Amino acid sequence: MKVTNPFKRLFADAPLATRGEITPKLGFALVVLIAAIWLIPFLWMGVATLRPPSDGINLMAELMPSFKPTLDNIRDAWEIGDFPRYFLNTTIICTGILLVQFVTVTLAGFAFARLSFAGKTLIFYLFLMQLMLVPVLLIVPNLTLVATLGLYDTLTGVMMPFFASAFGTFLMRQAFEAIPTELEDAALIDGASVFQRIRNIYVPLSLPSFSAFAIVSVTSHWNDFLWPLMVINSPDKRPLTVGLSVFTKTAEGTQAWGTIAAGTLIVIAPLLVTFLIFQKRFISSFVTSGIK
Amino acid sequence: MLFSRRLVLGLAMAGALALPARADGPTEIDLFFPVPVDGKLARDMGTLIKEFNETHPDVKATAVYTGSYDDTLIKTRAAIKAGKPPAAVIMSANFLLDMQIENELTNLDPLIAADGTTKAQFLGQFFPALHGNAVINRSVYGVPFHNSTPLLYINAEHAKEAGLDPDKPPQTFAEVTDWAKKLTKRDGDKVTRWGIAIPCAYDYCGWMMETLTMSNGGRYYNEEFGGEVYYDTPSMLGALTWWSDLVSKHKVHAPGATPGPAVSTSFISGNASMMMLSTGSLTYVRDNAKFPYKVAFIPRNVRNAVPIGGASLIIPAGLEAGKQKAAWTLIKWMTSPEKSGWWSRATGYFAPNMAAYKTPEMVEFLGKNPDAKTAVDQLEVAKPWFATYKTVPVRKTLEDEVMLVLNGKKQPKDALVAAQKAADELLKPYNAETALKLP
Repeated sequence: MKVTNPFKRLFADAPLATRGEITPKLGFALVVLIAAIWLIPFLWMGVATLRPPSDGINLMAELMPSFKPTLDNIRDAWEIGDFPRYFLNTTIICTGILLVQFVTVTLAGFAFARLSFAGKTLIFYLFLMQLMLVPVLLIVPNLTLVATLGLYDTLTGVMMPFFASAFGTFLMRQAFEAIPTELEDAALIDGASVFQRIRNIYVPLSLPSFSAFAIVSVTSHWNDFLWPLMVINSPDKRPLTVGLSVFTKTAEGTQAWGTIAAGTLIVIAPLLVTFLIFQKRFISSFVTSGIK
Repeated sequence: MLFSRRLVLGLAMAGALALPARADGPTEIDLFFPVPVDGKLARDMGTLIKEFNETHPDVKATAVYTGSYDDTLIKTRAAIKAGKPPAAVIMSANFLLDMQIENELTNLDPLIAADGTTKAQFLGQFFPALHGNAVINRSVYGVPFHNSTPLLYINAEHAKEAGLDPDKPPQTFAEVTDWAKKLTKRDGDKVTRWGIAIPCAYDYCGWMMETLTMSNGGRYYNEEFGGEVYYDTPSMLGALTWWSDLVSKHKVHAPGATPGPAVSTSFISGNASMMMLSTGSLTYVRDNAKFPYKVAFIPRNVRNAVPIGGASLIIPAGLEAGKQKAAWTLIKWMTSPEKSGWWSRATGYFAPNMAAYKTPEMVEFLGKNPDAKTAVDQLEVAKPWFATYKTVPVRKTLEDEVMLVLNGKKQPKDALVAAQKAADELLKPYNAETALKLP
């Protein structure tokens, strides 16, 4: 890695006017650097997971793997937490939320993009205001509502507050507005109903936005800790985050790092694998969607 | 319209399905518990509750894991407000006052009276130092379950290397500074081994500040009234200056606010020769230290004094009578000498029930592990844990400022003035309601 030399030349060669600008080369170097920084914790997690406890805590912070790797930590973590159950719960929560969200954000996005009704702008702004509220603020009112509906300690209760999404509505509105009205007019002449128009024109043309939204939605609910902690009491309804925190939230300052690393690996593995498989699609969805 | 009606119907049906089936069986109760040490103890808690359910067929208790002490408070409050209070909670002992002010606790006096005992008899089971956090306005609101005091841990090997006698641990702030200087190892400007580590993360930081302030002759808060904290005082300033000097003047304590787990890890790995940490970490240190270590009293500047830490069992307000009774049975069982002692041996927390130390298991255990006795001995000089109106936010005002000091971004005096101002602001409504309310 002989970065230093060309690194300096980048500035020397550049015309005076652009010397302060980030050149493509520099940008690339920056990306590599950030990627390396981003990778270190993952690397450590992998190494720490496979490190036998007999190595002691001394070597725990090292990135060099142990010579005699072991699966003991993974077995420990697997035994302490009922991970298959947690996986199932998290999957149910994430897909349940996403499926309902698809319906609600499509309809709401369409309404804000194409329909005209009284107070449309005001309602839209009210919708957007929701984005500015810290979720913690809504815990008590949401929980009261969930309990009143008899959904305390149920997975439906965990999902319910997220069935409507201000961010999704906003994203879909932007996506729908970018679609030429002529397409809809043509369908209208052919006698297509509102739902037919949404289904056959708006939805297919906005697929990249939908997948962008799906990624944001799934990752945020996959990682959510506080809300499921509030709603769920039964151990068999815990999602992954709550199950994992049994190892990581300590009151008086001690931690079994190997087990924590193993548990974390188990929790993020499905997301990681999905990402690796669908990498191209994920990236292209962001490039072609509203998020640029 | 049709759509919304369908939605409402759907929700109503979902609600009906989720309603618990009523049947004549054991009283089902939930016990909220934060995990005190690590994942293995979550399993120990499972074992404890399983044993309770087997010996009490008319009650079915479920242990509900609820995160850190702070998370547990949030969850309990939210559950009470949502009308679904848990039957019992292992609650950080210093949250009781705030909860009592907000009418979120059940007064335990009637339950004690119904058992045919007096308050004095009931409280008499527990170490006197613990009463302060359990009794509010002469009524019992909490039952001590697992408690701690901070301790000074010393790596005996390092001490001997530096020509210090680990059997005569440092007793004053000055001696600690002296030891830390001798124990710190440097390679040029780089420190390869720190003399001392003191944790400062949310929750821990406030507790350590109370420890140092008390040892410096001061008080953290008004023990009789929830509306006053004493941040901007000479005793607090002296304590924080000492801590800050270890970092920036003597350079024997790593800069920055170190969380508890990082402190215990660096002690275990030999990167720090001394640490101040809870006795709750003792079992962890005993199991993981590959070197001889010593446990000593927290050093003093003016006097020996430490705060109580750990948690008490509480019964939230608004519980139906049957569940309340079941919760009381569970609480009495969990705090009995046998169970209290068992939990103490598993965790390192000391057993609040004094009779636990007379059980044969405990006598044998202390014979093998004399280090477990230090925290109990230190109870002689222990005082209640700070507890105010809005404990958590009031605590955080100080912690945020202390973190700035340890990061070298602020001077102790400025930090304490700012913390006092912020805390006073938070305490204002309660003072207006009580202390400042004039007839």
